Amino acid sequence: SITGACRAIQKLTRVRVVDNSALGNTPYHRPPKCIHVYNKTGVGKVGDKILLAIKGEKKKALIVGHKMPGPTMTPRFDSNNVVLIEDNGNPVGTRIKTPIPYILRQKEGEFSKVLAIARNFV
Amino acid sequence: MWRAVAGGRRRLLLRPLSAAAGAALRPEPPPRVAGAVRRGCAAAGGAGALRAAAARFQAADAVLPEFNIDFVVALLRQENAKDICVIQLPPEIKYCNYFIIVSGSSTRHLHAMAHYMLKMYKHRKEESDPHTQIEGKETDDWLCIDFGSIVIHFMLPETREVYELEKLWTLGSYDDQLAQMTPLSLPEDFIFGLPPNSNDHPETRT
Repeated sequence: SITGACRAIQKLTRVRVVDNSALGNTPYHRPPKCIHVYNKTGVGKVGDKILLAIKGEKKKALIVGHKMPGPTMTPRFDSNNVVLIEDNGNPVGTRIKTPIPYILRQKEGEFSKVLAIARNFV
Repeated sequence: MWRAVAGGRRRLLLRPLSAAAGAALRPEPPPRVAGAVRRGCAAAGGAGALRAAAARFQAADAVLPEFNIDFVVALLRQENAKDICVIQLPPEIKYCNYFIIVSGSSTRHLHAMAHYMLKMYKHRKEESDPHTQIEGKETDDWLCIDFGSIVIHFMLPETREVYELEKLWTLGSYDDQLAQMTPLSLPEDFIFGLPPNSNDHPETRT
């Protein structure tokens, strides 16, 4: 069963990979789950890096949208969206179809690459 | 290392500063501009336009030339950047005004270009725009800098082939990589407003 949205993205949350990487799109019998959030609190919001367990491998990822309502006038998504990233910050996939929030631009962090491969903005 | 590589640039920067306040800063000295190879998609002219601009700046009496797109492209040409691609984005895409993609010959070249752009930016813009940082310093093939209305990406040619950013930003929805992505469809039991069925996991949707 799926619980409702409590806190944004923490350990053991199932996430949805939204880029066109092979690792994110090939079907596997287990959904990709977060195993660590690189944050002082263990809760990941938009723009935080997390560690995912996909297909038996560990991969870093960037959160681009979550189900929990954030600050006013920021978009809330129906699924916890995530973009796969290498350890050096380069995105694994080459295109992102789902909308990406604009607030990533004002945040401190390396988001220009993810914004460069995105198609729609929200 | 920095001093040896940037010896010429340091001299270039120090010369106008040591001169009297009346002499405005010029982008680069005209003889070096004439010798360098001209390439790129931007509409800015060659050495003639730069010399004219320099004359205008001298007449403007110590008004710093603005850090805008022509200045950025001139700097990139001075740096021997290959394949300068400047894409002007429509205002509907509220990302930036100009999107620049530049190729470099090696990792050191990319780092040197990026650091030089940042240095010139800090030199020109003192007060209004917030600080910018270079993203991708740990990588060896893709760096980028985001100045408000201009975004510059420094990539190696192989990386550029993989990502094809020019195609994405010029073709928009008609990009071929986007079309090749398997279309995401709603599950059959999707009803707007109700939570999805527990059997439906994202990974089983292909």
